[in-house]
Amino acid sequence: MRNSWIGLLLLAGVVGGTAAAIRRLPPTPSVGGTPAPELTNTSWLNADQPLRLSELHGRVVLLNFWVFTCGNCTRTVPSLVAYDRLYRERGLTIIGIHTPEFPPYAGEHDKGNLARALRRQDIAYPNAQDNDRRTWDAYGIRYWPSFVLIDKRGMIRYTGYGEFHLDDGDFREWDRRIQQLLAE
Amino acid sequence: MLVLATLATPAACHSRPPLVALDAGPPLRLVAAPGVRINARLKPALELDDGTVLRFDSPRVTPDSAYFAAAPTAAPPEDVRRGTLRVSVCPSGEGICRSLEVAVAW
Repeated sequence: MRNSWIGLLLLAGVVGGTAAAIRRLPPTPSVGGTPAPELTNTSWLNADQPLRLSELHGRVVLLNFWVFTCGNCTRTVPSLVAYDRLYRERGLTIIGIHTPEFPPYAGEHDKGNLARALRRQDIAYPNAQDNDRRTWDAYGIRYWPSFVLIDKRGMIRYTGYGEFHLDDGDFREWDRRIQQLLAE
Repeated sequence: MLVLATLATPAACHSRPPLVALDAGPPLRLVAAPGVRINARLKPALELDDGTVLRFDSPRVTPDSAYFAAAPTAAPPEDVRRGTLRVSVCPSGEGICRSLEVAVAW
């Protein structure tokens, strides 16, 4: 039993360095916003060509960092699909940033697997393959799923993470924020 | 024979609860701490020095197949005693998944 606890504590030590940020806090606004890093991904689905934030000024953009192997992510997708249907015509662009957790042997890097996941969940909004994590890193993301809401000027206004569901409190809060930025 | 895990990087001095533990078995078992779920859609991997990748698995998963309902196991060759463990852990209540990568020996 003593050896068991040694192992437990050693593993705890390694993950401890990144555990400090794990709290289910509501997303908080950064006053005035900060410029959103440009998207540089080259492989896209549900898009005729790679999307660039510089070409989306005038629209509100919601980035969703996710991966299809993450249950917390896939359970949140119905909410994002709902936002897309509600607000696309009013100026919202949702972009999935599909960032694998594991090396390629796990299949998350495969474009065909991602395409099937999009079909399975009825996702019509654009998705970028972030296989090298360049966008993940540029935004300082640490958890799946995470969200970044960008205003019409290309400024990051709200960030957050964690699963939410249709019509729960977090859904309504993100909905309120989307509507706020659409109205600006 | 219970757990003996060693690390490639020094353990930091934090008192946070562990997320998973490696039970030496055999077979190797990944045991999640209370309140922690191990992602079953992304089976934990043990990467060996020769490039071999072993995947942990268990026939028991949650009804939505998202998490293991019993500790997943893997059976490395008898002469292999170390590797790199990758596991996707999803703490209950956090609503997130996160990756854990750690050097282990048993």
